[in-house]
Amino acid sequence: MSRLSPGARRILYALAGTAAVLLVGALLHPGFASWSSLRVMLVVASFTGFVAAGQMLVVLVGGIDLSIPWVLNGAAIVLTTTSLGQTSRAPLAIVLALGVGALVGLGNGVGVAWLGVPAVVMTLGMNGVMQGLTLGLSKGLTCASCGSYAPSPLRGLFSGGLPAQLLLWAGVGVFMTVLLTLTTFGRRVYAVGVNPRAAFLSGVGVRGVTVALYTCSGVFAALAGIALVAYGGQPSLGLGDPYLFESIAAVVVGGVSILGGRGHYLGVIAGSLTLVAVTTFLAAQRVPEYGRLIIYGLVILAILFAYGREKAHD
Amino acid sequence: MRETLRRVSLGYLVLAATAVAYLVVYTSRLGRFPTSFDYLSILNTTLPLVFVAIGQSLVVLTGGIDLSVGGVVSLCVAVTAATASVPWLVVVLALGTACGALNGLVVAYGRIAPILTTLATLSIFMGLALRVLPVPGGSIPPSVRLVLTNPGTPTGLGWLGLAVAGWLVLRRTRFGMRVYAVGSDESSARAVGVPAAAVKLKVYALSGFCSALAAVFYVSTTTAGDANAGTPFILTSIASVVVGGVAFTGGRGSALGAVAGAVALTLVIDILFFAGIDPLYQSLFQGLFLVVAVLLGTVAGLVARRRRSS
Repeated sequence: MSRLSPGARRILYALAGTAAVLLVGALLHPGFASWSSLRVMLVVASFTGFVAAGQMLVVLVGGIDLSIPWVLNGAAIVLTTTSLGQTSRAPLAIVLALGVGALVGLGNGVGVAWLGVPAVVMTLGMNGVMQGLTLGLSKGLTCASCGSYAPSPLRGLFSGGLPAQLLLWAGVGVFMTVLLTLTTFGRRVYAVGVNPRAAFLSGVGVRGVTVALYTCSGVFAALAGIALVAYGGQPSLGLGDPYLFESIAAVVVGGVSILGGRGHYLGVIAGSLTLVAVTTFLAAQRVPEYGRLIIYGLVILAILFAYGREKAHD
Repeated sequence: MRETLRRVSLGYLVLAATAVAYLVVYTSRLGRFPTSFDYLSILNTTLPLVFVAIGQSLVVLTGGIDLSVGGVVSLCVAVTAATASVPWLVVVLALGTACGALNGLVVAYGRIAPILTTLATLSIFMGLALRVLPVPGGSIPPSVRLVLTNPGTPTGLGWLGLAVAGWLVLRRTRFGMRVYAVGSDESSARAVGVPAAAVKLKVYALSGFCSALAAVFYVSTTTAGDANAGTPFILTSIASVVVGGVAFTGGRGSALGAVAGAVALTLVIDILFFAGIDPLYQSLFQGLFLVVAVLLGTVAGLVARRRRSS
């Protein structure tokens, strides 16, 4: 174990956490780790995986994105109101929805990097702006086109033995891993995360990197919105609300340091799966909602105590 | 010191600007000045947020953040409404303090980042609240309501004054100085003998106490409880602290700024209401207000720095 790099060890911890939850689940609830049940969990975890991908990129440079819920919700509503359920309009709708995400992310990035607004404030404000725009423009989802369904090819993402949605998630995984470990951009991200000043002095365009990361986060939130509306068929208001804290939790359970500069997407995949496995298990055990909330919090605390502690002082 | 003054005064400037906007919008809409009833209802609806914002600002002053305020408020609202008796109010305050102390223990001695600790405990406290009060309901003794948020006389003003006075005393105590010391530079503070862990523990416990107070006032104004009552306070308390000019890096700002921020945020909602803006757009303006207020602070800082250097 001691030969492993700290980064690899963090991924291993995260994977071990997932395995432990699945194992406990399988022991207490036969069939919990069967393929059909795993497939459902993977699909549900993929939504968290998408938002957590964006959240992770931002957390890697010591930031945070609190605008995820309503970017996600806004993109989901843009998708259905643009596509109107017609297959021919699906490409335009997808591009528009992702564009909304990119635009909001860009706004966040510019606010944080150029205007010097703290990330918490900028993205919190942006979340409010998006919430207001989404509610106002859709008139609380009472507009004529708001009742539309997602186009059928999108809904096909979730059928079959190996849903296309999972392949999409795998694609996101490959993209994130290549981007962060094999490209110059990736090295710059970690450099900024470890020490922005040192990165700046060694020639990294810190502001450019920051803006790019926030833009990516917006796009990933929009992607999750598209996937969720394809899964559910229709958008709802408050669709994204659970994903704010869920994305942060997945990132941290996945071994990414909240202070920035450390972590890999493989860990975040494990983190997303762990969280969903815990929730699914508690639901399968018919634990009432209050119990689920309490146990969910305790599990996160336990994981944090296991490998999320900061170094001792002095 | 000048930096502190500038940041604090920004919160007051924002409050003054929103108060003027409120008066203008109100009088132009209704053709008369706000009555004492309007002021009283603003005061009573703001009080819970004011208390949460004070607690949040203490935590932010040490460089932390407390997301669990939503859970503590919910839990305390649930207990207050479910028991609906005066002696239980003491229990509620103790309960809130204990919840906060739990956060403090994990943050200070468990060395887990505040945002993560309070994220996890938020879930736990929300669960407990739901256990205590599964469906919205409950009540509060009328005597408590008369003392805390009397709809006829401004008793709330007294409580607001007490909160402000409490802060003014606190910041002049040794503990108050230590809060700023830990927030400015924790390792330096440690090096000169400040027990940083103990200070943090107390700060989180105080935040829990403030959330419990907020819960009691919340039930007193709404006369009923809801296990989800605390959720909005997470983001609004952070927003109040930010608008009030408390720096997220810690060590700069004042709880009074956060109080001003909390009142300003509540006024914005009233302004939107009287301006006849569709309530669906409410959060759009709140979000813009938040970002613009902070941008103004940044610009003011730049101008001040330029003037000093020239």
